[in-house]
Amino acid sequence: MTKRPFALITFAFAAFAGIHTGPEIGAKMPDFQALDQDGKARTLTSLLGPKGAIVVVYRSADW
Amino acid sequence: MELQQNAGEFQKLGLTIVGLSYDTPAILHDFAERKGIHFPLLSDPDSKVIRQLGILNEEVPKDSPVFGIPYPGTYIVDEKGVIVAKYFEDDFKQRYTAADILVQRYGVMPESGKTEVQGKQLSAVAYASNSIVRTGQRIALVLDLTLKPKMHVYAPGVEGYIPIDWTMNDSEAWTTHDVAYPKPEILFLPAIEEKVPVYKDTFRLTRDITIGPDAKVKPALNAEGKFTVEGTLRYQACDDRLCYIPQVLKLTWSFQYEGFDRQRVPEALQRKAR
Repeated sequence: MTKRPFALITFAFAAFAGIHTGPEIGAKMPDFQALDQDGKARTLTSLLGPKGAIVVVYRSADW
Repeated sequence: MELQQNAGEFQKLGLTIVGLSYDTPAILHDFAERKGIHFPLLSDPDSKVIRQLGILNEEVPKDSPVFGIPYPGTYIVDEKGVIVAKYFEDDFKQRYTAADILVQRYGVMPESGKTEVQGKQLSAVAYASNSIVRTGQRIALVLDLTLKPKMHVYAPGVEGYIPIDWTMNDSEAWTTHDVAYPKPEILFLPAIEEKVPVYKDTFRLTRDITIGPDAKVKPALNAEGKFTVEGTLRYQACDDRLCYIPQVLKLTWSFQYEGFDRQRVPEALQRKAR
């Protein structure tokens, strides 16, 4: 229990409705730039496969 | 990790996988090593990209250690970066599994865990996108149905006949979403001069379920940590001469349940309130 304080905090927020889902279908995804897990700079464009990509946005890899 | 397990299928579809969260590269490195993740996990420690996308969770107080989290979700973009699909849940404790997206969007079927049920005029093969599940995951149940030659069943919306009907048993261990029905064929019955929507030969029904909260799934588990999801399929089959007695098939899906992953990165790497 003591190892997961973050999750417990966020559970309390779940009661509020009205999520944001970002750009709509048909819109271009912003070509963002970020470091990956190896510290390498990446852009969305540089990561696209022959048919595109599945971009999974999640809360955290650590809680 | 569920996404990594399905990486090969996305690769076959020509799609790369990109993860994005507010974790530091060090946290992501540790996580990727532990989980054997080979696709890029992008680091957005100041939630710049999350803000750029407009999905910052603003209900989190600014002084909270978790301020900066997004509303989690999944986008599919094409080779030009244009969004072609997105998957978000109102309740952000819930999420679509990668395997659910593979089944529902791409028709990619899992290879394991089939159950076959034989009815009188129809046989059903039941399977699920995921065989190991966690709380909050939205997964797909699939029914591949095959009718005997010259038989048909009625599609939803038919008048005066019993349409095929897939119901799920009530349980707090899961919630049920609507069935996706394929487009029916229109059959003309000359004897009575009627046009009716039907299914013939082989067709597929899918529906999602969302795995319930941990406290509701646990009581449903057996000694091996598995639980069973149950439903029924009701149908009336007819051929060109007569209709048969309506049938009810019992459907079951069995899942291995996985509890929370409580392992974290070493203390020194953990995110601090900022």
